[in-house]
Amino acid sequence: MTTHQIELAGVNKYYGAYHALRDINLKIRKGSFVALVGPSGCGKSTLLRSLAGLETISAGDLVIAGARMNGVPPRKRDLAMVFQSYALYPHMTVEENLTYSLRMRGVGKAEARRKAEEVAATTGLSNLLGRYPRELSGGQRQRVAMSRAIIRNPKAFLFDEPLSNLDAALRVHMRKEIRALHDRLGATSVYVTHDQIEAMTMADHVVVMRQGVIEQQGAPLELYDRPANQFVAGFIGSPAMNFVPARAGADGQSLVLDLDPPQTLQSPKPVAAGRALTVGIRPEHLQLSGEADAALRLPVGSVESTGAATYVTTATQPELVIVLNSRVTIRPGETLPLHFDPSHLHLFDKETQVRLA
Amino acid sequence: MRKLLLSVSDGRGFDIGLVSVPLAFLFAMAGLPLIYNIVMSFQEVDMFSLGTFARPFVGFKNYITLFSLPETWPILRNTAVFVIASIAGQFTIGFALALFFWTGFPGSSWLRGLFLVSWVMPGLVVGAIWNWILSGDFGVLNYILREVGLVSGNIFWRSDPDFSLWAVVIANIWLGISFNMILLSVGLSAISQDLYEAAELDGANVVQRFFTITLPMMRSTIGAIIALGLIFTLQQFDLFAAITAGGPNNSSNVAQYWAWDMSFRQYDFAQGATISVIMIVFVMIASVVYVRSTRHEVRG
Repeated sequence: MTTHQIELAGVNKYYGAYHALRDINLKIRKGSFVALVGPSGCGKSTLLRSLAGLETISAGDLVIAGARMNGVPPRKRDLAMVFQSYALYPHMTVEENLTYSLRMRGVGKAEARRKAEEVAATTGLSNLLGRYPRELSGGQRQRVAMSRAIIRNPKAFLFDEPLSNLDAALRVHMRKEIRALHDRLGATSVYVTHDQIEAMTMADHVVVMRQGVIEQQGAPLELYDRPANQFVAGFIGSPAMNFVPARAGADGQSLVLDLDPPQTLQSPKPVAAGRALTVGIRPEHLQLSGEADAALRLPVGSVESTGAATYVTTATQPELVIVLNSRVTIRPGETLPLHFDPSHLHLFDKETQVRLA
Repeated sequence: MRKLLLSVSDGRGFDIGLVSVPLAFLFAMAGLPLIYNIVMSFQEVDMFSLGTFARPFVGFKNYITLFSLPETWPILRNTAVFVIASIAGQFTIGFALALFFWTGFPGSSWLRGLFLVSWVMPGLVVGAIWNWILSGDFGVLNYILREVGLVSGNIFWRSDPDFSLWAVVIANIWLGISFNMILLSVGLSAISQDLYEAAELDGANVVQRFFTITLPMMRSTIGAIIALGLIFTLQQFDLFAAITAGGPNNSSNVAQYWAWDMSFRQYDFAQGATISVIMIVFVMIASVVYVRSTRHEVRG
């Protein structure tokens, strides 16, 4: 008995000549929370819909709970999906929405009703069972969509950007609620989002996609600490990582940053002399230092303060962003002495954009 | 006065002004004739009193006379059969076609558009074409029925009292299919695809999806179409004029054709108006159903 609830091996999907998914290999452990994240058009929704059976895959194997599911229609896959639009049945009450799947399976009325009440009690919908979806707020509709999925006790939950229609405060709240629900049910969840913060905060395993390809997958902090390429490095983390074109010095130990004005750094690892690179450093990893131990001296372009943090944009070409977690008085035109932990420096090949090991 | 002018330039007065124009038009062009017709049904009207409005009132005499005529009940029965059979046929075939085109095979929207051709054709033209198709001696319908083996001899659709009404029903169904199909297609396309996907994941098969999602979501569209169908079939005049002229011996006569026949061929305007008033009652009922069903739209 495999511990993998969902396995995708060599999955490809074409829409005519368009190659929507390329060689997707993904194993989803039972009980884990997996986030598929990427910019729009990256194939994450196509992948989710392929899991659900709403799209057919062109090649490869899709295995759910040990059974190959390639040609199996959605209704026989025993997966529950929460749609971005919620897709609540507008002509049914909340209770009828919840019990729909049970009724389709021939569960008795009394039994369905009992289950609906049970689920509604855990999701706080008990006094809304008689309402129609149009009489509910956005957050309540979201809960109905979730409850409709929960009531079936499916093999896995599929979420298709379920929070994107909610306002910011409710989104943060529902993030926690969904994760708590997942833990309580011991469910297996696949969650599609374009918001990397959602992916990072909710998931055990994050899959970053671009143009139908899985760019990197792993634990959230692993992706943050060791992005496999420049795309993942720029996608994970907010504000985004700074990238500066650079060239390895003649000694192979130093990096000459192609900044205006130019700067030289000690390389965290030996590099072939003269090799063209891209150097990445996260805004939160640049710190103010004393004049003596400064690794970088950068002119200040603009300063924004949120109270909790200060965002400094440098007057260099390209611009760098620095996040300082302290309230400091900095004026445009000053030169800032900065230092950083060399292990926080990310080196990428200029051509392939792949991380240097 | 100033206040009134102000309200016309930037307030409720402007709205009322806008509404009053079509309202006045409707009253003059539809309301007045309607009232005139109702008044006429309570009067004694002949060729000589046609030009004046001051005619002797006779109370319900026209109605009593009408219902004492031997052909009245058969004609009303024909009207009911015509309306019910036409709507049933138009709706069933129209819905089936709408579902068929909804599957979205290549060229489906193009083909669906072509169907509208039948609806833009004048009723008299449609009637003339169906006259050929239904013709007893050389009609293609008889030929097909014979070849399939359903009938042994020719059916004289237009002159056989058992078939004459059905000849018009068949033509009317053909005429109304595309209208039903287009309106039902619009209703179908208004249903979010998400709902079907959710239902599919919830374990509903095609039949269950049709009865739990499509039909209930189409309820208002269906109500509106049936009500409009009732109104349109009660208006259907051209086909009767073209195919059977109500004959033979009133076997295919219906209220709307009869009203015309009474008024403009027998010049019994009072009886014609009386028949029209009875029809107005039915159309009113249909209108209420139509307005109610469009008001109760269920959309997420």
